[in-house]
Amino acid sequence: MALNDKSLAARGLQSERVQWVGKGPGVFEREVESLETEVGLTTLAKAIAWAQTKSMWPDTFGLACCAIEMMSIVSSRYDIARFGMEAFRSSPRQADLLIVSGRVSHKMAAPLRQIYDQMLEPKWVIAMGACASSGGMFNNYAILQGVDRVVPVDIHVPGCPPRPEALMEGIVRLHEKVNAGVPPAYEIRGVAE
Amino acid sequence: MTYTAVPGLVETKDAYGETTVIVDTARLLDAARYLRDELGFSFLSDVTATDYLGWGDQAVAGYIGTAAGRDLNRPGSHGLAHRPARKPKRFSMSYHLLALRAGATRVRLQTFVDDGEPVESVIPIWPTADWHEREVWDLMGVNIVNHPNRVRILMDEDWEGHPLRKDYPIGGEPVRFSGEE
Amino acid sequence: MATVERHPVRPGKQLIYEGSRIPRRCPTILDVPAHLAGNEDINQINFGPNHPSTHGVLRLVVDLDGELVVGLRAVIGYLHTGFEKTMEQKSWWKCITYPERIDYLSFQTNELVFVLAIEKLLALEVPEKATWMRMCLLELNRIHSHLVWLGTACLELGAISMFWYTFRERDQILDLSEMVCGVRMHTRYFQAGGLAEDIPTGFYDECWKFVEQMPKAVDQYEDMVDRNRIWLERTKGLGLLSADDAIALGQSGPCLRASGVDWDLRRDQPYLFYDRVYFTVCTREHGDVWDRYKVHMDEMRQSVRIIAQCLEQLQKFEPGAPWIADDRKVVLPPREELHTSMESLIHHFKIVTEGYRVPEGEIYTTIESPRGEMGCYVVSDGGAKPWRVKFRAPSFVALQATATCMHEALIADMIAIAGSLDTVMGEVDR
Repeated sequence: MALNDKSLAARGLQSERVQWVGKGPGVFEREVESLETEVGLTTLAKAIAWAQTKSMWPDTFGLACCAIEMMSIVSSRYDIARFGMEAFRSSPRQADLLIVSGRVSHKMAAPLRQIYDQMLEPKWVIAMGACASSGGMFNNYAILQGVDRVVPVDIHVPGCPPRPEALMEGIVRLHEKVNAGVPPAYEIRGVAE
Repeated sequence: MTYTAVPGLVETKDAYGETTVIVDTARLLDAARYLRDELGFSFLSDVTATDYLGWGDQAVAGYIGTAAGRDLNRPGSHGLAHRPARKPKRFSMSYHLLALRAGATRVRLQTFVDDGEPVESVIPIWPTADWHEREVWDLMGVNIVNHPNRVRILMDEDWEGHPLRKDYPIGGEPVRFSGEE
Repeated sequence: MATVERHPVRPGKQLIYEGSRIPRRCPTILDVPAHLAGNEDINQINFGPNHPSTHGVLRLVVDLDGELVVGLRAVIGYLHTGFEKTMEQKSWWKCITYPERIDYLSFQTNELVFVLAIEKLLALEVPEKATWMRMCLLELNRIHSHLVWLGTACLELGAISMFWYTFRERDQILDLSEMVCGVRMHTRYFQAGGLAEDIPTGFYDECWKFVEQMPKAVDQYEDMVDRNRIWLERTKGLGLLSADDAIALGQSGPCLRASGVDWDLRRDQPYLFYDRVYFTVCTREHGDVWDRYKVHMDEMRQSVRIIAQCLEQLQKFEPGAPWIADDRKVVLPPREELHTSMESLIHHFKIVTEGYRVPEGEIYTTIESPRGEMGCYVVSDGGAKPWRVKFRAPSFVALQATATCMHEALIADMIAIAGSLDTVMGEVDR
């Protein structure tokens, strides 16, 4: 698509991600905007939230096919290093973000919960893909029907597998949520027992 | 390649270009040894169990698809629905063998067992059968004896039941309006 | 006793060691040797299921004497999805989306093995254009799988930059896949009878560009690690597996060929049109990690060769040539016909709701996936749903061999060896 030199913001668009000429900010952006004014973070809290989003290190929790697409956001085309997130920590003690990518079987649910518990607050969870969000196409004895049965989830990213851009959209929305002052999911939803 | 001298031979079937050698369960190891040593099937590709509980109960109505074409009134069917022939026992154990030589000869060594009937492990003949048989025990519950390490492999160690059996429910959660209960 | 021809090893080449290392009847567990059994210095450590260096959710319980691995036990099942039971509940057409997720690195390979089984039972005639396109996509999948393997294997051994280089080419392959099938991974493009849709214009040019560029990329990868002292020390002479052991343990694919056994299903049991293309089967003789790496690299080059030949053949077809079989009882009619033809509407309805019926029988199809012999055992009772589907996954069998390869290995070697076996946990656990 051909864009003139004028930046999108100059055209009146408030969200950088919207590239549709003439389309205004979406529902999410408007809600985030209203949240920002409602929650009313102090300058210090805003600065802390900004810092948290600028280097939110994910944990290597790749399980199945979605893990391959998660690996591809680290690759040079969909470079996630521009968000400061290329440092995938294998130790949950050093990670902020748990991207559950792939189908979680009942056998794996216990290690998943253990890893989540080992992460230090503040911590966020992205359920990547259909299987992590809801069990996906596997409605059977073996697969957990959505990881929100064991861990509280902030963002669900649909797709089977979601494109790398879709996962990055989810990550960017998480950043916007954090910047708006929305607390991590364990404070809102309560931790599953 | 003739299989007439296989110990414990019950039947040989040829279909779709594949040969199935059905043997007696008690003589499985002899048959396996014969196939490996005399006929050269040194590669065990797969060990599978099939549960035939309910086999043939659902009538196949309407047109019958055959290799020769679609046939609404197959001769001899009198227009009645065709049902598959009954199997001798509940489970079948299939061992898929391959001979590593030109032509890639394959054969399926098959034996029928009942629930609980012991089947000898073929690890002494093909060591690769180890995990295959563990999986068969785990998911189907076929009683494989003389296995050095017969523990569950895919399910949790304390799981009850054998999921792939036909009387084990599919599980999961009910989905509204999907037509599947 | 009839003389039986043993496995065809490359003539004139000596194996680095002969004979079997299988210590007892159960080589899939390495037991702590008796003289160390009560020793307090033996540490039992748990590797996984969440570990950066095990490919996916594999759990290895290792006994360590210092850094030497003296006991090893692999625990799998953390990704068990119940594919086989779920597929028994779906109609044959809807089942085709499931096998792709089994071996998620070479997704169309699993699709193909299942579709080939259905086609054999139905005795469908697949048009030639579809077969050539299937071959082309299959070889693209093979390169894709080897690229991801190479990137992650090097990542685990510390050669981190290789990951970015291999993923650069991998994204190009997924671009091609997206152009043809509409989605990057898990495409559901192979149907019983051929392809789901026609090949789009512009695909051939893009694929030729890829074919010209890929061999140079493989040369680049080899330049990066082949003469690197650290890489050589970490891969040469490790994880030895003799040809006899490989066959006894059911290995296939690059693992088997790296151990000196000249066996490739594409050449020895040709399916699709592999008997009409020229390619070399790459074997090495030592069976160590280095040889498996080299076999993967050589295979990538051979795959490019096959793709070039497939493209030449494909470009000979006219633009409107059929891409799926003509049998309306199995294949969905084209959408334009639904507006005018009553029969097409009825067939569409029957196929989508009830599904086509596959005649009674059992089939075991095998193809050469990037990991080895992938097999699909299908039992049909003549109904609209499969009675039993079993996927013979090569990684399941390859993982059994970890203990046999681990002869006086350190932990770092264990990572290299487990990585070189090229296991994908999706197909191990199914």
